[in-house]
Amino acid sequence: MIEHDIIVIGGGLSGLRAALEAKRNGADVAVISKVPPIRSHSVAAQGGINASIGPDDSWDSHAYDTVKGSDYLADQDTVEILCKEAPEIVYEMENWGTLFSRTEDGKIAQRPFGGAGFPRTCYAGDRTGHNLLHTMYEQVLRAGVRIYNEWMVTRLATDSNRCTGFVALNLLNSELESFRAKSIVIATGGYGRIYQRSTNSIINTGFGISLAYRAGVPIQDMEFVQFHPTTLWGTNILITEGVRGEGGYLYNKDHERFMDKYAPESMELAPRDIVARSIQTEIDEGWGFSGGYVQLDITHLGKELINERLSGIRQICIDFAGVDPIKEPIPVQPGHHYSMGGISSGKDGLTPLDGLYAIGECACISVHGANRLGGNSLLDTIVFGKRAGEHAANAVKSIAMPSEDSLNESLTEERSNIDSMMGDGGESFADVKDELRQTMQRYVGVYRNRGDLETGLANVKALEKRGENIHVKSRVNAFNMELMNVLEVKGMLDIARVITEGALVREESRGAHYRTDFLERDDEKWLKHTLAYLKDGNPKLEYKDVTITQFQPKRREY
Amino acid sequence: MVYLKIKRQDESREWYDTFDIEQTPGMTVLEALFYVQEHMDGSLCFRYACRGAVCGSCGMLINRVPRLACRTQVGIAKKENTREGSGDIFVAGQKSESGEENEEILIEPLPNLKVIRDLIVDMDSFYNLVDSIKPWISSPEEHPEGGNLMDPDMRGKIEKYTNCILCACCHGSCPVAARDDTYLSPATLAKAWRMHLDPREDDASRQERLDFVDSESGVWGCDLVYKCVAVCPKKVPPTLGIKALREQIEKKKEN
Ligand SMILES: Cc1cc2nc3c(=O)[nH]c(=O)nc-3n(C[C@H](O)[C@H](O)[C@H](O)COP(=O)(O)OP(=O)(O)OC[C@H]3O[C@@H](n4cnc5c(N)ncnc54)[C@H](O)[C@@H]3O)c2cc1C
Ligand code: SF4
Ligand code: FES
Repeated sequence: MIEHDIIVIGGGLSGLRAALEAKRNGADVAVISKVPPIRSHSVAAQGGINASIGPDDSWDSHAYDTVKGSDYLADQDTVEILCKEAPEIVYEMENWGTLFSRTEDGKIAQRPFGGAGFPRTCYAGDRTGHNLLHTMYEQVLRAGVRIYNEWMVTRLATDSNRCTGFVALNLLNSELESFRAKSIVIATGGYGRIYQRSTNSIINTGFGISLAYRAGVPIQDMEFVQFHPTTLWGTNILITEGVRGEGGYLYNKDHERFMDKYAPESMELAPRDIVARSIQTEIDEGWGFSGGYVQLDITHLGKELINERLSGIRQICIDFAGVDPIKEPIPVQPGHHYSMGGISSGKDGLTPLDGLYAIGECACISVHGANRLGGNSLLDTIVFGKRAGEHAANAVKSIAMPSEDSLNESLTEERSNIDSMMGDGGESFADVKDELRQTMQRYVGVYRNRGDLETGLANVKALEKRGENIHVKSRVNAFNMELMNVLEVKGMLDIARVITEGALVREESRGAHYRTDFLERDDEKWLKHTLAYLKDGNPKLEYKDVTITQFQPKRREY
Repeated sequence: MVYLKIKRQDESREWYDTFDIEQTPGMTVLEALFYVQEHMDGSLCFRYACRGAVCGSCGMLINRVPRLACRTQVGIAKKENTREGSGDIFVAGQKSESGEENEEILIEPLPNLKVIRDLIVDMDSFYNLVDSIKPWISSPEEHPEGGNLMDPDMRGKIEKYTNCILCACCHGSCPVAARDDTYLSPATLAKAWRMHLDPREDDASRQERLDFVDSESGVWGCDLVYKCVAVCPKKVPPTLGIKALREQIEKKKEN
């Protein structure tokens, strides 16, 4: 059994920031991650991180944009924290070495992003995530935090409403080990790969969310799934919103700048949900190009600007689509991008399970509500990562190490669980996974309605049944990828089920959740958060109020 | 159709397996490997994460060139000679003589690192080399009001080096790393130069790092053959960093 005061599961931006803060506050802290931290999905973020550091900007204007963008579902007390702490977070990262892009006079440069009333997004070219994550990792190394690389956590251990640690699989040799801690922080990122088209890394399966769900923790607002309007046709690699921020135009096959039909004021810079639906409508109504895409054109921006601020995007287009955006428009289509929902947690990352914190994309601290604004999620990971790390470090000073019993028990259960999956025959994980991803894409996508959601739900339930019968044929010990995949597919099914049921029940359109059979937002009935608990193998839905402080809900127009 | 000839390895054996798969439009080598893993042989292993050439997980030898599997198109790789049997490491694919599709792609693990299994190599030894130069900015606790200022031109100079994703392709191509496992590696030295250039780094740490790389395992070990520069998927020029570090060291010694 391995022991630390605090163990952070996940080495992305949120997990590393939590670990760093806990260490700075004197705790014995370790990070465990299925890939080395710098391979985490955070590395892929392109566009930037929001902070109201401009001379005419203010935290409350940032908060207003965030709440409006969220379609009033965000909790305004946590949004206030996010926006107030943003400038300090950006300056801190800068001071640690992040290579932000600069203005002529050497200050941190900012670019406009959708849904923001001000150019508020600080960026490092179009490699903001790469620069932030490497900087953060460097500082974690400097602080001497212990890191367990290439370990996959498979089950949380609990003892009378307290999280006592977890069981993890060492990918190097397929051995299971138990880890005991006074506090655990989950920072495992999003679940993009349950959709067929997703901008996310292949490792983003949402398994961390299902770990908490299976340990009895509620997961919140899962029906709110963000689709990014512009992903590269084919591979769905992200084409950052920064491209539109720099002045890119969207055209349909008749070379119309169709956004003037949908958001005449803000055009290409309307929030993501609106632009994604506009593109999808164009495609569905036959105005897209054959194969299902529209064009994002930046040829008018000129070679120099493209090479300076969008060089990563240019390279992506050349490598993955054979298109050079200096000369030709980029083919784009909407794809899954971000999870607004996640493990229910509060302003310090605390979940309803004692000793368990959740932060970053796997969590729902509810700063993004029904729709996240670009540049707010990198901010979310660092702001709340820092808070959770500090809170946990203070808390462990007065908590005793839990007893070993629950961990020994969990280890035994997990051994027999894995043993029962080994063998020939049965279902293959790849078939179940592929069908799940198609189902979610087809029936629980940008546009939703009762009929589709019911079909989607029936499919997911059928796949759950088949999921019970998946076997691992490969017997190798070192890097048994088939075993990892089988474990993760089961978590993907949990999440798909909750998203679909939540979406079916929520009879309104709000933010990214758009019902063609209930076109309006319905504050009377639905200005509330969804909580899903796992009860006897099924999600049980409950609801809770949204915290409203300074901004009263009003109609959202752009 | 395309044949993937993949080098397999476990604790006790080394062998090659050939898989014959249906090529789909735009398919990358990484996707082809997934196809094998999911449908033909679940025991095949390799590393991956982003599939978009940003995380650095999937460096491997494709037709004896170190490169990222996720960024290499099957359609392009199969028009190259596989150079099977050659002991050399190359910096670019070589079109097959006829220009015709060759149908076969040779896939092997990155050289100069111990193989754990199949295409997975021991990256820890590579990371340890990188970490040995203390690759972080030792800035003071408090930042200046409004952040540090940085000249955009200086930012441009540093950026070339910050783009490194630690994929180890350069390490796999490096003749010095092949003969000397204490050699710090092109990636490490490129990073040392990145830290050295940064105006936010404090002088004592900068000097300490310079002293550390002033050795045969450091900047003086380099053969200046520029293979690392040629293979780097992120256009990082390690050799230029190494030369710049040498100049700095010599300048300091003259003074
Ligand atoms: C392509 C793309 C571009 C983006 N660009 C922007 C942007 O410009 N601005 C912005 O604000 N946001 C952006 N986002 C969103 C943002 O990048 C993510 O929300 C954020 O990086 C998530 O960070 P995280 O720390 O929560 O998780 P991640 O970075 O995803 O890290 C998750 C970690 O958990 C580990 N892990 C997962 N499961 C397990 C397990 N079972 N056991 C052990 N370890 C596990 C993984 O190894 C990994 O280390 C973008 C997202 C995408 C998809
Ligand atoms: S310098 Fe280039 S080749 Fe070497 S590790 Fe960095 S990105 Fe990879
Ligand atoms: S999978 Fe990330 S670089 Fe290839």
